[in-house]
Amino acid sequence: MPTVLWIDEDGRIARPNGVAFGSDLFKDFTGVEAEPHKDEIRRWVRDGEVPIAADAARRAVADLSDDEVMARLHFRVAAHARRAGDEDAARRHFAEAGRLAPSDWTIRRAALPLVGDDPFGQTFFDMYGEWEKLGKPYHGLPATG
Amino acid sequence: MATVTIISDEARTVDGAAAGDRMTLDAERLPDAVGWQLKPEGLCQADVCVPVRDRDALFVDGRLDVAAVAGALGRAAVVDAAAGIAAIANDAETRRQALDGLQAPDFTLNDLDGNPHRLSEWHGKKRLLAAFASW
Repeated sequence: MPTVLWIDEDGRIARPNGVAFGSDLFKDFTGVEAEPHKDEIRRWVRDGEVPIAADAARRAVADLSDDEVMARLHFRVAAHARRAGDEDAARRHFAEAGRLAPSDWTIRRAALPLVGDDPFGQTFFDMYGEWEKLGKPYHGLPATG
Repeated sequence: MATVTIISDEARTVDGAAAGDRMTLDAERLPDAVGWQLKPEGLCQADVCVPVRDRDALFVDGRLDVAAVAGALGRAAVVDAAAGIAAIANDAETRRQALDGLQAPDFTLNDLDGNPHRLSEWHGKKRLLAAFASW
């Protein structure tokens, strides 16, 4: 997060999802500058130029592992249980989702505020450190500085 | 009869039962629950049918077992019978086709006023989808 996806006039994905920012507010932390991606958007809109070939775009997002599939299912059960007021079931399934996909921010960080934890607290910074040590795994285009 | 919620392409709540770690449905509830129907040729959706090798294995006490149905469709599932909620994944082939095809699904999201909008409303225009969290 944040992640950006380009979709062309025919509904085809022109640029797979990748980390991109609207400003440099978090540049010191993430190492990602906003302007290069915004320049790419301008070239796409004005000239139809895309920064990635279709074959490379197909390979850019790896399929989910079995554990990641199960993690998403547990997350969906947890989110529904929470909406239904079943906090115990929600916590149990959020925890299992995080155990199965420890490097997935969409699972782990997204669950933090839903279980009363702080998405900017120590849990988040611990997770960020673990994620960095693992080489910043991500289902999408790698972030570029 | 209690109700259960099954989440696949969307969350649907139907009449069903939960006992132990199993969630079961009457066979006629299956189309409303997951969009598939049990027919003599197998589990069918539109013009696609998935053959079922062991039909009896889908049933527990005369009712369809949700986890067994997901397994017969080749899909992973999480069943929390106590909570009355199950979730069923897309099959691997559907995911592979989506990744290879690069075609964006025609999803629906609500605007700030709660009005739903489909991606196809902007067909013919370039679209930039930015996902972020306000926390």
